Amino acid sequence: MPRFLLNRFSQSIVLLVIVSIIGFTVLNLMPGGPLAQFGLDPGMTQKDIERLSEQLGLNRPLWIQYLDWAWRLIQGDWGHSYRDGSSVLTVIGRHLLATLLLMGTSTALAIAIGSWIGIRGATHRYSLFDYCATVGAMVALSVPTFWFGLIGIYIFTLKLGWVPAGNMYAIGDGSVLDYLHHLILPSLVLSLVHVAIWSRYMRTATLDALTQDFVKTARAKGVSERRILLKHVVGNALLPMITLAGVQLPSLLTGALVTETVFTWPGMGRLFLDSLGYSDYPVVMGLLIFSAILVVLGNLIADIVVAVVDPRIRLS
Amino acid sequence: MTLIAANLAPSRWWQSRAVSRFTRHHLALAGIAMITLLVLACVVGPYALPYDSLHIDLRARFAPPLSGQHYFGTDPLGRDLAARLLMAGRVSLLVGFSAMLLSTLIGTLVGVTAGYRGGWVGAALMRTVDGFLSYPSIFLVLALAAVLRPSPAMITVIIAFTSWMETARIVEAEVRSLREREFVQAARMVGLSRRHIMFREILPNAMGPIIVAASLAVARAILLEAYISFLGYGIQPPLPSWGNMLNGAQQYLASAPWLAIIPGAAITIAVTSFNFIGDGLRDALDVRDDHI
Amino acid sequence: MTEAQTASVYSRRSALQLMIAGAAGLAGSNLLGQPALAGAAPAKPTGRVIVGLGQEPTVFNPLMAHIEVDDGVHFSVFDALFRIDPQGVIQPNLAVEVPNQKNGGISEDGLKWRIRLRDDAHWHDGKPFSAEDVKFTLELIMNPNFRSWRTAGHALVRDITVVSPTEISWRMEEAFAPYLSFLTETFIVPKHILEKEANPNNAAFNQAPVGTGPFKWGQRVAGDHLELVANTEYFGEGPHIERLVFKYIPDLTVLYTQFKSGDVDLVGQPYITPDHYGEAKSLPNRVVTLVPKTSFESFYLNLERPQFKELAVREALYAAIDKDSIIQGLYYGVPTPTETFMPRQSFYFNANLPMHEFNLNRAGQILDKAGWAPGADGIRAKNGVRLSFANSTTSGDPLREQVQQFLQQTFAQLGIEMKISNLPAAVMWGEFWMQSQFDSVIVGSSYLIGADPDVTNRLHSRSIGAKGGRGSNNAQYANPEVDALLDKGARTFDSESRRAIYQRIQELVRRDLPFLPLYQVNVVQGTKKGISGVVPNGNTRTESWNALAWYWAS
Repeated sequence: MPRFLLNRFSQSIVLLVIVSIIGFTVLNLMPGGPLAQFGLDPGMTQKDIERLSEQLGLNRPLWIQYLDWAWRLIQGDWGHSYRDGSSVLTVIGRHLLATLLLMGTSTALAIAIGSWIGIRGATHRYSLFDYCATVGAMVALSVPTFWFGLIGIYIFTLKLGWVPAGNMYAIGDGSVLDYLHHLILPSLVLSLVHVAIWSRYMRTATLDALTQDFVKTARAKGVSERRILLKHVVGNALLPMITLAGVQLPSLLTGALVTETVFTWPGMGRLFLDSLGYSDYPVVMGLLIFSAILVVLGNLIADIVVAVVDPRIRLS
Repeated sequence: MTLIAANLAPSRWWQSRAVSRFTRHHLALAGIAMITLLVLACVVGPYALPYDSLHIDLRARFAPPLSGQHYFGTDPLGRDLAARLLMAGRVSLLVGFSAMLLSTLIGTLVGVTAGYRGGWVGAALMRTVDGFLSYPSIFLVLALAAVLRPSPAMITVIIAFTSWMETARIVEAEVRSLREREFVQAARMVGLSRRHIMFREILPNAMGPIIVAASLAVARAILLEAYISFLGYGIQPPLPSWGNMLNGAQQYLASAPWLAIIPGAAITIAVTSFNFIGDGLRDALDVRDDHI
Repeated sequence: MTEAQTASVYSRRSALQLMIAGAAGLAGSNLLGQPALAGAAPAKPTGRVIVGLGQEPTVFNPLMAHIEVDDGVHFSVFDALFRIDPQGVIQPNLAVEVPNQKNGGISEDGLKWRIRLRDDAHWHDGKPFSAEDVKFTLELIMNPNFRSWRTAGHALVRDITVVSPTEISWRMEEAFAPYLSFLTETFIVPKHILEKEANPNNAAFNQAPVGTGPFKWGQRVAGDHLELVANTEYFGEGPHIERLVFKYIPDLTVLYTQFKSGDVDLVGQPYITPDHYGEAKSLPNRVVTLVPKTSFESFYLNLERPQFKELAVREALYAAIDKDSIIQGLYYGVPTPTETFMPRQSFYFNANLPMHEFNLNRAGQILDKAGWAPGADGIRAKNGVRLSFANSTTSGDPLREQVQQFLQQTFAQLGIEMKISNLPAAVMWGEFWMQSQFDSVIVGSSYLIGADPDVTNRLHSRSIGAKGGRGSNNAQYANPEVDALLDKGARTFDSESRRAIYQRIQELVRRDLPFLPLYQVNVVQGTKKGISGVVPNGNTRTESWNALAWYWAS
């Protein structure tokens, strides 16, 4: 086991390096840059732009810039934003909570509702419930999230006025109720897709597990259906679920990005778009590394759990 | 050699059992019907409609659906929405389908190789998959679109390059567990070549998830194109796509909601159809149901 | 030098424009330290105003490189030596009076400047403001390690001398008339706080600024909003509101929705989109006005491209633009057509330029006469050069994209092929723009700083970046007569003489058409009914330039 962990750890470091190099290269290959926002300023001259470029260290050869950035990162200095000068970690930290709140709520909703629907659908296969759940899930997966969010705003904010039009809380308020009031529509919109995903996989996984030999054996032995469900089915469905959860992690940025854009939610997704729009390289690189670390951790945990549970894979 | 496999998987899966199961799956049939209709509409429709999709007429802006011969109304430049919708459908569907083909090919190759070989080859490949998965695809898209100047072909490639990982992961996981099955052990013991085992023994058994993943991939590709174009980095005007039609519609939501509703509905219908088909395929190709 | 007595010289058109823009606000003259209307404003600052912005202010040190949206915070937290009022007249702010050659503040040769300062201004931490702070500010701008914003003008300052805590003087390397305008946008920062910083770029001050202005720094929730609180010790008349909040809403539709629902009291940059203007005007309890800005929209050409070298082609293109349909149809009548880069509210505006006329036949004739005949593919060509080019603008701007597609169709009727190739903003305005790598661009920008008419940066031949120059003359326009006039204008301090110079420049530019002027930008500013003191100022870049005068009436 320790050797396995060590292997994975070293592989992860290599991954981080590759991710950072690719990211850095693509970012800098992008024409434009952090100074493009001043391109239309009537008072700034070419001289000012060049001076700023020099001061930001943008004139140095790419590999020097990369090494400089990497060296500082290893020492814990993630750099400073080109826009307001705060440290990158501080900037990410400010937005992290908002994203976690949104993602956490919708994931919890999604797993709870989705699993229930999925298992029920599998055990009552081809029933009306299963039929509706399947159709519903697929429609839900087919709806573009941003479109769904817009329709949601149109109905619930513009026409009905039930929920506010965006942001995380009303200025001057900030009570828990206010947060919930602002949270409900975005997290529901975001969870829709995930409810569908979880219900589909739960259904598939349950079906797979139900057809396994040991379930037939258990049934033959007279074990109650409910126990079979809980112990064998869910237990065996756990593996793909964990793998799925690991795969879902990058959506902490990408998936939330959609919802945060539509609902002006001050999370990391919006931070990413804004920073990319301004070519705020330090923040963008910071977010990339951050998400890479998250994914690596997530997959690592998923793999460890899978290896622990399935002895066949561990021994190979 | 394939006798051992024959008991566990129908090697000629296009034969009657799977197909008859598929045709019993009503949703999948509905999906096929919808997609056929949609494709027909997009290919033939623009010739049948009275208006050209490119013609700008500022006097007829924002006409609601069913005004005169504008069945779906007009857009902010007075162009017929129905014509634009169908032209956009050609682009979006083509991009989606091509991206799926490309990403499934790459993903399957990587997944089978990684899943079967294991060891450091498998680990290296899967770490690469992880690496690409940890990229918010929007970042790659944005950066690539800026460097490469987006065209439908380029968008297809970009979408494929950011979607193959899901397929690879599914395939790798499937292959990894299949690898330990008896029939594979047997094949190895008998001395079949590695490539033979990978692509003639394991792959057919993994086809189920691959095909399901493929149909999901089309769906996802269409959605991704919609999102990218919605943000303005995908298909550029005046070439229409369902995504960039939504881009223009966002600000008119309160005054001209049909501009947003109709393209969004089209995307939903197309993607739903592929999802239905995928589900039907999944049930039809459910391998293990065969030997109870 | 003052620009007094400008009102009498305005043309009727621009006066009307001003009336439309600021009828309500002009009544309240509570600006820049002048007495307020008696009884109107509350005695103690009360209430809160929420300004909605489409971009997030992130740079709070006013000397560092920043964009327009940061100005709102700077104008509230800091003061400059001078301010510019909506009429284009420079008023004293931290200075006691505006120096000119008549009162001796500026020497006859324009080189020696002497400015007297207020003695009653204090920093938010209580310390008194003095000339030392002004000297520190000017020197910090030129500090080679400091990421400062604009250095033009400041680079000419030498021998800054603190004569007394309330008087400062310096010498200019050369006479530079626009410097006074530059100083209206140069906010003074505290020496006693910033001199202690080893690296002013990363100072804590940049996240919690301390100024002399009417509002103090409150708190900031990054990505969401920031809050300023009233400075009750402010030397001027005001502030009258207790809290000033800048709320960040990146989606313009949501911004407008929040304005309708009352979550936002005042819509700031980028204001209300033209398609909502009609509805916004009719909203109850909202005041919606059109405010002219100094920026204008143009079809900007790269004159080094073979297609654009001939004046005939440029004239034909101009005649092929259906401005009226674009303005009335696509922009709902919000902007005003223009023939020049000079805003109509400016003292230097030339009202006698030839008017544009949309005439496809005439355009075709011009091209025929110049020898551009349609080829086999229908596109006109001459000497092997096809009249085909690309046009770019910021992607994601639906109105501009509509204009592009409309123009594409119109040009196609003439046998001109225009291809659309849009880019994201961060790419668009980088080297692609600054090194003249484009064919043509649809761009909206201002050529002026403050209200000063000096446009050397945009039109002088030594400002061509692609040729090694130091400015933003990206069209690569080179006209020796214009160059000479620009040089002269920058050295002339008398407003009447300058006027003649800049009007002549406008004539020449209109004749040469290095860009095809479309319209001058009017922004749709919306406020909640009940806020008084909101005065639009086309000479500043922000709507919050005088937040100290705002208050809730009744």
